Amino acid sequence: MKKVLTGNVAVAYGAMLSDVQVVAAYPITPQTTIIEELATMQAEGLADFDYIRVESEHSAMAACIGAAMGGARAFTATCGQGLFLMHEMLHYAAGARTPVVLANVNRAPAAPWTIWSDQTDSASQRETGWIQLYCEGNQEVLDTTIMAFKIAEDLRLPVMVVLDAFFLSHTSEPIDIPEKQAVRAFLPPFDPGDLWLDPDNPRTFGSLTMTNAYMEFRWQIQRDMERGKKIITEVHEEFARAFGRSYHQVEAYRTENADVIIAVTGTVASTGRDAIDLLIDRGEHVGMVKLKTLRPFPREEVIAAFSGKKKVAVIDRNFSPGATGIWAQEIRSALYDLPENDRPLVYGYIVGLGGRDISVKTIESIYRKTMQDDRPDDVDMWIGVNYV
Amino acid sequence: MKYTERQVSVPLCAVSTTSGLLNRTGSWKFAEPVFVDRISPCNQQCPAGEDIAGYMYLASQARFKEAWTLITEENPFPAIMGRICFHPCEGECNRKEHDEAVAIHMVERFIGDYGLSNKLNVPVSEPDKKRKIAVVGAGPAGLSAAYHARRMGYPVTVYDSNERPGGLMRYGIPPCRLPKDILDGELQRLFEMGIEFKMGVTIGKDMTWEELKSTYDALFFALGAYEEQALNIKGLDKAGVFHALAFLKEINLGKKPSIGKHMAVIGGGNSAIDCARASRRLGATVTIVYRRSEAEMPAHPEEVAMAKEEGVQFLFLATPQEAYGDKAVTGMKLEKMTLGEPDDSGRRRPVPTGETVAMECDGMIMAIGEYTRIDDLPSFVSHTRGVVTTDHMGRTSDPSAFAGGDIIDIPHTVTHGIGSGKRAALAIDRFLRGSTDDYGDFDRLRWGEKGTVSIGRLMGTALFKRRNPSSDVAAYEGLNAFYFDLRPRMKIHTIPLKKRVTGFQEVVEPPSEEEAVSEATRCFNCGSCTECGNCYIFCPECAIKRDPGGYGYYADMDYCKGCGICVYECPRGAMKMQYME
Repeated sequence: MKKVLTGNVAVAYGAMLSDVQVVAAYPITPQTTIIEELATMQAEGLADFDYIRVESEHSAMAACIGAAMGGARAFTATCGQGLFLMHEMLHYAAGARTPVVLANVNRAPAAPWTIWSDQTDSASQRETGWIQLYCEGNQEVLDTTIMAFKIAEDLRLPVMVVLDAFFLSHTSEPIDIPEKQAVRAFLPPFDPGDLWLDPDNPRTFGSLTMTNAYMEFRWQIQRDMERGKKIITEVHEEFARAFGRSYHQVEAYRTENADVIIAVTGTVASTGRDAIDLLIDRGEHVGMVKLKTLRPFPREEVIAAFSGKKKVAVIDRNFSPGATGIWAQEIRSALYDLPENDRPLVYGYIVGLGGRDISVKTIESIYRKTMQDDRPDDVDMWIGVNYV
Repeated sequence: MKYTERQVSVPLCAVSTTSGLLNRTGSWKFAEPVFVDRISPCNQQCPAGEDIAGYMYLASQARFKEAWTLITEENPFPAIMGRICFHPCEGECNRKEHDEAVAIHMVERFIGDYGLSNKLNVPVSEPDKKRKIAVVGAGPAGLSAAYHARRMGYPVTVYDSNERPGGLMRYGIPPCRLPKDILDGELQRLFEMGIEFKMGVTIGKDMTWEELKSTYDALFFALGAYEEQALNIKGLDKAGVFHALAFLKEINLGKKPSIGKHMAVIGGGNSAIDCARASRRLGATVTIVYRRSEAEMPAHPEEVAMAKEEGVQFLFLATPQEAYGDKAVTGMKLEKMTLGEPDDSGRRRPVPTGETVAMECDGMIMAIGEYTRIDDLPSFVSHTRGVVTTDHMGRTSDPSAFAGGDIIDIPHTVTHGIGSGKRAALAIDRFLRGSTDDYGDFDRLRWGEKGTVSIGRLMGTALFKRRNPSSDVAAYEGLNAFYFDLRPRMKIHTIPLKKRVTGFQEVVEPPSEEEAVSEATRCFNCGSCTECGNCYIFCPECAIKRDPGGYGYYADMDYCKGCGICVYECPRGAMKMQYME
């Protein structure tokens, strides 16, 4: 069935179709319509889950962790400041191996106060042990939400579905909504195995661990993150077989004859496709790579996509103050070990913070600058900034 | 990327290998939460001993049949009570500290009417007890005693000198406050219970008290106060002078006594108000003449307000000395009064000033109070100036004789009468069973310290489970009012004023079901668990559990750490912390 949905409603459909059992959330613009939609679905009997009202995002995540430890499929959604308030619990969710799914609507951090999009909120949670999946369009948002539960429950790691504020969250697109039965066939009920909190036989979870075991627990997270690279691809392939829509952790767009690759994430990919078409029509040797996963970082696929190219221009709608854009850091790091002849130069660009538009023209100017400069600057270039 | 090949022998997440149940984290507490059933101030105040907090809970869930059953465990007449009881419960309602008292009487009236329109009855089997009880007086107290004694399984016979039962409810209260079909509907239930009525029989005249006493095993008498007080006023023998009870009886028999155009009603009690309002309905202008001021009036303020709405005038601090006129009264000489020191009732005493004024009127109704006719009392009980001596359960100086209503030392209201009848029924039951236990369990029987007793509290009721009954009264300070929103008291609708003063149609309109439920949800249910779940939700240790017995919760002492959060979060004071030994 097709419907015209905003990205936020698409998230809600994804969670509802996944038979989520517990939702604990706290409203925050631009996430609010996700949980409003879920509340409506519950009230109208479309979904049967416990909706826990909480006083903060910290409690929302704590409730989701508790629900997941109790063996339930748990979901929450937030953005920006709310995600920051969750930070402590994000670490805990991963450490406790709870397969919570969180939809994060990218909202730039305050101060100054803002509600518009950039990825600094989610990207700055890189080290929390969450799998992060960035989406380009509303269909991908819905589909990824369903896949997120499967990935999370397979790996026993939490998954963050990431979408741009307003560009997706409040923009409507025609969306194909999968049949519930088909989703159920794709996503069986969560089986927590032996690792769950049984009220009749309560055990202590996550208690004080001595130096002789702590690293082993952490190592297992890393082991499963590594395994996750494979699992995420497999789940995406299985989804494609079941529903006919394919997505990739690393997707190349018209890179065959490219000397310069523009690396993009999220909604910038859609603008990027137009820009690449325009530039190729003009005879430029350019292509685009869209990255979906920040964690686990798809190092091998990134190497494969960029190896042998001359230059990579990374568009980061986020930044790490005092360093560079976060995707640029990751890509540089992945490519460092390539032989010098295969290793492209990596140009970092900070663009579109706080929701500023990234247009075809912006991408064109990034391409021009990358072509012109023999070597990247020592620090990332900030595009479109009126320097003060 | 290489990792060590060594197998790691830890689970995915650190988890204990033994059950956490072994760790009885409750072992270090020094105080424990206890679920208690405190007495709500309304229940304590109800002269009939109704479980108001309980039936409001049921009504809030639209469980009207159960609510009706809960009331009728204590009081046979919810539809009457909802209309004419002066609801002292509302004066004590904790909600008045919050916003406004709950309109308890309107909810009770709805429940009572629900019982009538759905023809609910009180199931009784054939009398299974051999001992017989006689009740003299078919007013509120006598009917209440008969009802409760019959429910306890005794055969009961009611004697009354009137043609029909009801006493003052039938002959004293005008239909604009209590329609006769409501009264008859409530009485019908008593007939169906198999209570025998012998109407038109005056004990002491048609049959001697001694004869009656020897025929029955126990005797309850509630003769009422019918004797008009004699006043030192000249000229009261003139035409146009009425006595309140006689006047109201005419009204209640559907007659239209021919009264004057300008009536003076002497007195400040509820009878005076009833006489004044009835006179208005017969087309007269009416002035109530009262010797004290409005603040000292014994009449209920709501009734006074309605009388004022209907155009009744008030003349305070004046008392008649003489009625003028040849054969018929044409006016009065009034003496002006002033207020002195408070009397025994706590009200300021009227003090004559010696100054007199004249007032024109062509009719007077004397409504200055009634007392018991001493000659009507049986000789085998002792009394003080007509007030029969009893203990708090209605036992007189004669072991087999019990008394209640207006002839004993209680306030003269229908509800107090009903309460006295119930207490006497309990005492009679004790007497007939030969129990010498002088209410050792009285704590289990009474709501608080104001002398009201509850059969439901004694017997336990399945309708509204009360566990661990406490003699504490739930005060407003002990509630967690954070959980209660602010919501004004329901609006009470009356018929248009024009209709009010032209007939005896009931003035207060019935509440709708929606209004009744909404008003019942305003009740805090002070002191009783309503299964709101706050203790269950807030317990940080998950030590509060659902009672497998079906109602409410219990604290699992193995894991309760005694933090007291549950007690703090209980909205209605149904829990307490206590130090452990």
